[in-house]
Amino acid sequence: MSHILVLGHGPATHRLLRGLRRHGHDGTVTVLSAEYRPVQHRPLLTTVLQGRLEADMLRPEPEPGARVLTGAVATAVDTARRVVHARQGDTVTAHPYDVLVLACGARPVIPPLPGTSDRTGRLAPGVTTLREVTDCDRIQGTAVTVLGGGPLGVETASALALRGTVTTLVCSGPHPLHERLGDTGAALLTARLREAGVDVLGGRRAVRREPGRLLLDDGTEAAADSLVLCTGVEPEVRLARAAGIRVHHGIVVDDALCTSDSRVHAIGDCAEHAGRTVAGHESALAQADTLAAVLTGREVAHRLTPAVLRLRTHVVDVACIGPLAAFRRSGIRTVGLFDPAGRRYARLALDGDRIAAAVLLGLPDAIATVSHLHRRGLPVPSDRLGLLLGIRSHFPPAEDDDRTDSMVCLCNHVSRRQLAGAWELGARTVPALVRATRATTGCGSCIERVETLCAGWTDAAGRELEPTP
Amino acid sequence: MTATLVVIGHGMVGHRLVDTLRELDRDRRWRVVVLGEEREPAYDRVRLSAYLGGRSRAELSLVAFEFLADPRIEVRSGTPAVHVDRRARTVRTADGNVLPYDALVLATGSRPFVPPVPGRELDNCFVQRTLEDTDALRAAVRPGRPAVVVGGGLLGLEAAQGLQLLGMRPHLVEAAPHLMPTQLDAEAAHVLQHGANRLGLHLHCGTTVTAVNAGSHGAVRSVTLGDGTVLDTDLVVFAAGVRPRDDLPVAPALRLGDRGGYLTDALCRTSDDRVWAVGECAAVLGRCHGLVAPGYRMAQSVARQLTGRPSEPLDAMDTSTELKLLGVHVATFGSTSDEDGSAVEMTFRESVSRYAKVFLRRDTGALLGGILAGETGSRTDLAARVGRPPAADLERVLFPDPSF
Repeated sequence: MSHILVLGHGPATHRLLRGLRRHGHDGTVTVLSAEYRPVQHRPLLTTVLQGRLEADMLRPEPEPGARVLTGAVATAVDTARRVVHARQGDTVTAHPYDVLVLACGARPVIPPLPGTSDRTGRLAPGVTTLREVTDCDRIQGTAVTVLGGGPLGVETASALALRGTVTTLVCSGPHPLHERLGDTGAALLTARLREAGVDVLGGRRAVRREPGRLLLDDGTEAAADSLVLCTGVEPEVRLARAAGIRVHHGIVVDDALCTSDSRVHAIGDCAEHAGRTVAGHESALAQADTLAAVLTGREVAHRLTPAVLRLRTHVVDVACIGPLAAFRRSGIRTVGLFDPAGRRYARLALDGDRIAAAVLLGLPDAIATVSHLHRRGLPVPSDRLGLLLGIRSHFPPAEDDDRTDSMVCLCNHVSRRQLAGAWELGARTVPALVRATRATTGCGSCIERVETLCAGWTDAAGRELEPTP
Repeated sequence: MTATLVVIGHGMVGHRLVDTLRELDRDRRWRVVVLGEEREPAYDRVRLSAYLGGRSRAELSLVAFEFLADPRIEVRSGTPAVHVDRRARTVRTADGNVLPYDALVLATGSRPFVPPVPGRELDNCFVQRTLEDTDALRAAVRPGRPAVVVGGGLLGLEAAQGLQLLGMRPHLVEAAPHLMPTQLDAEAAHVLQHGANRLGLHLHCGTTVTAVNAGSHGAVRSVTLGDGTVLDTDLVVFAAGVRPRDDLPVAPALRLGDRGGYLTDALCRTSDDRVWAVGECAAVLGRCHGLVAPGYRMAQSVARQLTGRPSEPLDAMDTSTELKLLGVHVATFGSTSDEDGSAVEMTFRESVSRYAKVFLRRDTGALLGGILAGETGSRTDLAARVGRPPAADLERVLFPDPSF
């Protein structure tokens, strides 16, 4: 029986507790939470901001079986004695452990921008980051400027515009998400944001914040009753570093999510696995799942989850799947789609017939399909256009009779009648029909229908052979 | 009763017109006088780079013996026209003759555009439009020495490749961010640039020549680029495009296109119903065409009109190109958008070895046209698919076999 102590009470911790319970962890678990509020589902913060979700709904059901100490701020980790020192109000406490899990998360980077914080480093009134539910309440006034062209900046700005706030998004790159989406895709994102009412000011830096406005380096200014800083986060590593645990950008962990101290693990935004930190929400949850298995005696190696960014905004569907570097790898074939009038864009990096990386904008169906193929490592259909534009057959089922004909495989122009003809000529199985007609070899979406047809004909033929009573 | 046709210009298109007319004019209605400015009768100007590489004049000639021997045709080479009087319906030539005409065809071609940079008149600055230009250039070639070609379009690339084959070390300067900006997009040009680098050509894209500098003997010694770089060079070839030759004194004057050229309708007719314009000097519906294929269509059309045959309007001119340059195959076909000016673009790229872009109709998905670079499927195969939605395995059509 071992005692597990967890520092930090974010979504990764919540997931870890659930995993431990499911795997039948028989020891005790204590969580030190610096905050008094329970865990939040942070990715939905911008939904709260839109006014579409009550803040209370961000709180998942508390996990039974763990002792959660709220308002307990860890001050030091003593790895030699295996004890964590903390402060709970005015009381100094000590918490021994057999296994320590660091899930301290990340904290927002505050840019050195005059007018944003007071002498003690506290954010000035009217300036906020967006990390907690209470931050949503700090965003006041009719005009709000969001600083930062990353995912959070885009999500925040579009959420604010949707609720009717006069919103400006300022970013130093030519467009928001320029590095991930590239010139064409990022320009389309800007166009979509503008349509949604966000005033996008790209290629500009903030030089000073004054009450009610943000001054920019080109001499212009943006109205800002509130200023939201979405200028990135950095892993929270101070406790680990002070304890002599190996830290690079984040707390360095191996495939068992173990730090340089064999009794200390790290997960979530504070951890650095395979040279990568802050890989996103899905990645943090996957780490929690792995660690739950490791701590209950299973031999699991944490597999690097594919980096997937899906923008949570109503403005446009955006997804970045896999590492951008894949586009520059040798032997990679790139497929692109650009529909300027329809504001749709896609770029796929293909390694053979597998997806190595993808950038998609304005193509919700393709995002679903491509994500699925990528996650499962499945081959992409040869009909790239069908894959990206989501060409599917829309035939009503069970209306097949021999008098009517219909197109089954749109990609290869194979009709039901042609398939029936092939069946008559001896193609009595699905693979034989495929060979005879090339049906299903495009986007592949008609395979179920070909199977149904084939089974139906086989049944009918079987019935005919039965002696009539 | 025969009528007289005067054709001003004995280039590729003027010659094609007369040659077609010979064939179509079975009633022997026309007598033709062709005025050529150059001493050489019509030759294949497209292959001047081959001439630079050592091909003979005879190999480039387009004029067959039967043509010169045809009693209906009178070719006056080295005899430029200097004036047209539309009221009197006469053409005056440089040697003082006045030729009456019943029909007149302007086929004056174009002249090289030389950007107005200081030093462009120095010795060893060349253009490459005629056999004589090319003779002069060839005489200045010094193997092992650097040369500068201004212009990264078709002409510039051919000139650079020609100089390279003669042993020079050419630099090529293109103002646009990439090669062949009129025909290719950046990624197709990237495939071409890769080929250029492999052949040892030095590319300077996105900059211009701001000055041509003289050495001690008054000839070119170097050029200065927009970013201040100085390139030592023995010679400079200006291949920065052409401008239509529309400056022949015509009284009263003919209407010109907004960007120059004799303005014509879709049948190459100028505002004067006895005067046509064909080839690079013609602004058909306001637009000049610098390729020979559209010029030949114009020649065909006018020859048909002169012999009383119906002729299709030349409103949709095919600007397809296909060529192999610097060891790289590049081609374009069809158009880049539908009538609304919109299209869906699909691109396929395999490292720097091949690239294809196709344009599809937004409403039906039908193929409109495309750009090909590197070892792609053949342009003819793809051009035949224009107007229909592409096959599901479009990528295999564009990139037929795996490349290694």
